[in-house]
Amino acid sequence: MRKNNLKIFGVSFFCLSVLGLSLWVAPSHAFNLDRFLKDVEKSTQPQPKPKQEELDITVEEPKSPPPPEPQQSTGNDGMIGLGQSLGIFDKKTSKILKQSVNTLQALQPIAYKEEKAIGGRLAVEVFSRYGGAYNDPKLLHYINLVGQAVADVSTRPDIDYHFAILNTELPNAFATPGGYVFVSIGLLRMLENEAQLAGVLAHEVAHISQKHALQTLGRSRSLQGISALTLTAMDKNPGLFDKLIDEVSNVLFTKGLDKNLEFEADRYGREFAYRMGYYPGGLQNFIRKLGTSKAGGSSIFMSTHPSTGERYNRLKKTWSRYKKASLYPVLGKRFFSVFKKPGKS
Amino acid sequence: MILSGVVMLLLPHLATAETWYVKKSSTKLQAEASARSKVLGKLQKGTPVKVEKKSRKFFQVSTGGKTGWIFRFKLSKKAPAQKQGDGDMLGTLGGSQKMAARESASGSSIRGLSPVSEEHARKKGATPESIQAVKDMENFKVRSEELDRFLQTGKLGEYSQ
Repeated sequence: MRKNNLKIFGVSFFCLSVLGLSLWVAPSHAFNLDRFLKDVEKSTQPQPKPKQEELDITVEEPKSPPPPEPQQSTGNDGMIGLGQSLGIFDKKTSKILKQSVNTLQALQPIAYKEEKAIGGRLAVEVFSRYGGAYNDPKLLHYINLVGQAVADVSTRPDIDYHFAILNTELPNAFATPGGYVFVSIGLLRMLENEAQLAGVLAHEVAHISQKHALQTLGRSRSLQGISALTLTAMDKNPGLFDKLIDEVSNVLFTKGLDKNLEFEADRYGREFAYRMGYYPGGLQNFIRKLGTSKAGGSSIFMSTHPSTGERYNRLKKTWSRYKKASLYPVLGKRFFSVFKKPGKS
Repeated sequence: MILSGVVMLLLPHLATAETWYVKKSSTKLQAEASARSKVLGKLQKGTPVKVEKKSRKFFQVSTGGKTGWIFRFKLSKKAPAQKQGDGDMLGTLGGSQKMAARESASGSSIRGLSPVSEEHARKKGATPESIQAVKDMENFKVRSEELDRFLQTGKLGEYSQ
């Protein structure tokens, strides 16, 4: 009798549990237009910026101007407009759906393959404009070792980085998207040790790892409305590739990046050099030297970057974060064993 | 009684080690917190590891049944994008933080100057020397053993004091 009661209790409990569970689960599977619209609405809202990789120190977020509003749709209402006129969607629903379509059209991230194509083309431009390649295999090997070392501890170590020396006496350094880094022989002549070289190369690596040129490209008004930047699209429409290259060339070689992006590259560059074990003050010491040198005055560094004084002061402000910095090596001897300055034996 | 039950339930959760991720393929897992110690294995990009202990330069981690040490800057708290090239930050053309739906192929297929770039450069009058300079730049490789020796002699990276 007692056994039967237990059985009945057990079966009832099981049935009630299944019923309760199905009542709880069922609504989540049912189509809910309100929830759907809320989800769509949510997806059209600006998404929070993903956190950068956490550095040992707190790195301020760049205070770049926000991207311009996506262009409004001009007569491409299509099925949504038809749905509204037929009374399938009300006005609010149509507006939300149109917004989401516009957002999706405007926000197509660029892929690595395309980034590399843009960067490669700009790399040709760098060689054309700034004296071609400087021929010194031993020095080139050394630059590649230092560059690769800092790139390995960057926020984007998983791409191939390429380093080259430019045959110009003007102190210049560049980075083009996809991993191309350049430093001029004139700049190398100004350096005093390997820690300074690491700081300069790491600044350029930071431009690539933080995708600064691509961020700038994304904000370009002349490229608004272009949604698919694939190699196939560029191949079919050479005008599109033209536009892209003109835009980035203008930024890299004439206007310069937004100054907050330069400050960010300084902070990240110093951090990458420090992570690799170099004295972290190398970059700021070079910036100070550049500011006082005659050669620096005619460099593109000066016309496309914020003033050296401002850059130096900003780095100095956060210098106290690097405890025991003086214990880190500058490797001056090794630098001069590879790079022979005129007059040095 | 109830409180102790709650604490008992929470304890295993609190004790869970942090999960970090390998940032680049061929990252060395070493027997000790020293770059000169035995290499137990090499880990692929994106491998999750449980961090057991942290020292200044190395983290003790366990993964795939092995426990060893990794140079801390080869690890990231955030899982890297699995497709090559996106690093810690996803592509952001147009301000989107979403990963490209039409993500490119693996890195091994992205070698050399793209034909689109080369053709464009020629059309715009770039000299063959400038085009060749980019190809030479791309072909210049540093072997991992060379880099390792370079770090060792300079007391840098995992070899720093």
